[in-house]
Amino acid sequence: MIRLSSADTTETEAATAAETPIVDERREALLAEFTARLGEGVLGSHIRAGDDLWIRVDRSVWRETAETAKAMGYVFFDYVSAIDWLPSPFGRDMDAQEDLIVSGTPAKEVGPMTHGYAGGETRFQIIARLYSLADGMGIHFKTDVPDDDLTAPTWTSVFAGSNWHEREVMEMFGISFAGHPNMINMYLPTDFQGHPMRKDFPLLARRVRPWPGIVDVEPMPGGAIDDEEGESE
Amino acid sequence: MTAVSDRDDISSLVAEATDNRVNIDFESEGMTLNMGPQHPATHGTLRIVAKLDGEQVISAEPICGYMHRGYEKIVEVRTYPQINALINRIDWLGSFANEVPFILAAEKLMGVEAPPRAQWIRTILFEMSRVANISLFLGDFGLQLGGMTAGFYAFRDREFVLNQIEAATGGRFHPNFDRIGGLKDDLPKGWISDSQVAMDKLLAFCDEMENLLVGNEIFQSRTRGIGVIPADVALSYGLSGANLRASGVDWDLRRDSCPPGLVYDQADWKVWTHPDGDAFARTWVRLQETREAAKIVKQLLTTIPAGPVMAKVPRIIKVPEGEAYVATENPLGEMGYYIVSKGDLVPFRVKIRSASFNNISVLPWVARGAYVPDLISILGSLYFILGDIDR
Amino acid sequence: MGLVESGKLPKPLAKLLNISRKYSIWAYQWGLACCAIEMGAAFASPRYDVMRLGVIPFPASPRQADLVVIAGTVTDKLAPAVVRLYEQMPDPKYVISMGSCANCGGPYWDSYSVTKGVDQLIPVDVYVPGCPPRPEALLEGIILLQERIAHEDMAERWKGDPIVIG
Repeated sequence: MIRLSSADTTETEAATAAETPIVDERREALLAEFTARLGEGVLGSHIRAGDDLWIRVDRSVWRETAETAKAMGYVFFDYVSAIDWLPSPFGRDMDAQEDLIVSGTPAKEVGPMTHGYAGGETRFQIIARLYSLADGMGIHFKTDVPDDDLTAPTWTSVFAGSNWHEREVMEMFGISFAGHPNMINMYLPTDFQGHPMRKDFPLLARRVRPWPGIVDVEPMPGGAIDDEEGESE
Repeated sequence: MTAVSDRDDISSLVAEATDNRVNIDFESEGMTLNMGPQHPATHGTLRIVAKLDGEQVISAEPICGYMHRGYEKIVEVRTYPQINALINRIDWLGSFANEVPFILAAEKLMGVEAPPRAQWIRTILFEMSRVANISLFLGDFGLQLGGMTAGFYAFRDREFVLNQIEAATGGRFHPNFDRIGGLKDDLPKGWISDSQVAMDKLLAFCDEMENLLVGNEIFQSRTRGIGVIPADVALSYGLSGANLRASGVDWDLRRDSCPPGLVYDQADWKVWTHPDGDAFARTWVRLQETREAAKIVKQLLTTIPAGPVMAKVPRIIKVPEGEAYVATENPLGEMGYYIVSKGDLVPFRVKIRSASFNNISVLPWVARGAYVPDLISILGSLYFILGDIDR
Repeated sequence: MGLVESGKLPKPLAKLLNISRKYSIWAYQWGLACCAIEMGAAFASPRYDVMRLGVIPFPASPRQADLVVIAGTVTDKLAPAVVRLYEQMPDPKYVISMGSCANCGGPYWDSYSVTKGVDQLIPVDVYVPGCPPRPEALLEGIILLQERIAHEDMAERWKGDPIVIG
């Protein structure tokens, strides 16, 4: 995949450092330890001082990441999910009609694909969060999943709770997990076509029906609409 | 011998062997029990496929998705105020508590902070929704174990809290009261003293439940030692809330990792844990939690600061680019929103980390080897709301 | 009930039957989502007390029920169960669709997994709007249904003709 990311890792860090000069020593130390343990596996990171830490790791060390984190006391499993960074090809068409009127910017051009904190290279990214009860800190882990091989190692052997979360990611994004014991749909019927959380999955109801919220005051059956009330809304 | 007669011989041998196995060894073939997709206690539509050996559960696999409404997709096409109205309906018993982490996450991205009065009222309503939620759990759990009375009591006393929530927010169920930067309205006149009375009634309700339910011998024998979840299993499944505390883990986001914007440090309260990790422990912790919540409300009501309830925010809300995760200790456990914003009217991606999804994922582990009636105790005591599992 | 089937029931007798049916509705609780709690408040709580209207909310199975309240979101995955539930109920049977989700999809009108209205699956007698409707609103829906039952021509219904109620 071509690197389209504008939010390069170093840039992001520099920008954050300029905005918030506070250095979060605990999270810096944590990140340093992770980098020491995983070595080349850590591809990018982002720290929001006093709040959160993002670490992007290589897909090949995704499972080792969980094991390392667990060994370091990050034993509370929060969630595993994924993000589709594709700018929606439907553009503003996917948005409610009301929003187009409010914002006054019809049919915005679809921009290039940009990634969030800690950077990224591929369309799909898996995101997970672990928490340490002793430290009182959480870490977000991200890993890139290339389009031509939508698989990642499973976390189920490390955190049993990731079982359901990975099933959800599979059906919503189409990313499968190697070594998962029961890779079946979590929510949707087995004959459901497509992966709904992908950005190119359209919500067809929106395209064939106008946004119902735009009609604020409907005329009552048999009665005239009260104009003054409608205006004061 | 021809090949055909060989085959005949083999098939007759196989048939004989099968016959022997069934008739002589008395081997149990097992049985599949399908529970649901209707839940008797109106928690929603969860279906459980349990494989039984006699009265014992070999495996129980919950089948979710009967209430899957596609939240994470449809919030991508809603503006932030619209999402606020929608996410009320995730955990429908403690609706106000659903709004708070989302609003806090959006506020974090926008760099807005609600004025102190709004923070106070937020915390009060948050705890009120906890009382409304868990009081129904106590009644419902009794109902599931065969004690109808508890259910009636819960529905009766829960109304007092709902009245107060309605008086302040206008919504009995789905308040949609929280706004980015504060609250929709100030409190109505006389609300504070009325709420004190309501909370007193709820404290009395807790005492009543303690006598009626937790102190009941039948209840105890149906819950003690049933569905024990050790602490390390609870952590690796991501159990949160009372389920985690009942396994002896002293962890409460309100105390240990309270996001800015809630004022739990202004009240004197306790986090209760129980070392047993069984169904009884979970009920007991929830009962204490309801008490503590009522106490928090009573204390905060006396110290609400004066001032505005809304900070200055633009009329059309655009959240700046960034990512934020905020989790709060909801009635069911940790509920968090991971918002990815691209500086638009709508969020780019919202991951909803709901408590029940993790809480109920432990069911296959904990149900193995349990007896069928105990399955009800386990399921009831794990306490889920279907909207919170399926989203 | 040969008289009923032939549609030749004497009027006073038909009225008597209707009144007795009106005040002995066995309502099956089919709690799906948020509305189920409000339905629970209406059915089980002492404040709203649905039994004073002659509704008995505790049949053990749909086979004993006259009325089902579809309270909550119906998803495509659940749809077969709803249809089966309706088919299990003995005739005459009535359906109250409670809340916006069951009426038309409600706030999930554009979702990929929600059935936009339970009336796509089964015939609905009374729609109760609201998200969720207050328990009082459900009680009003039940009263409307009772009015409908009171004026119903059972012969028409049993002959299989479309039901027309004044």
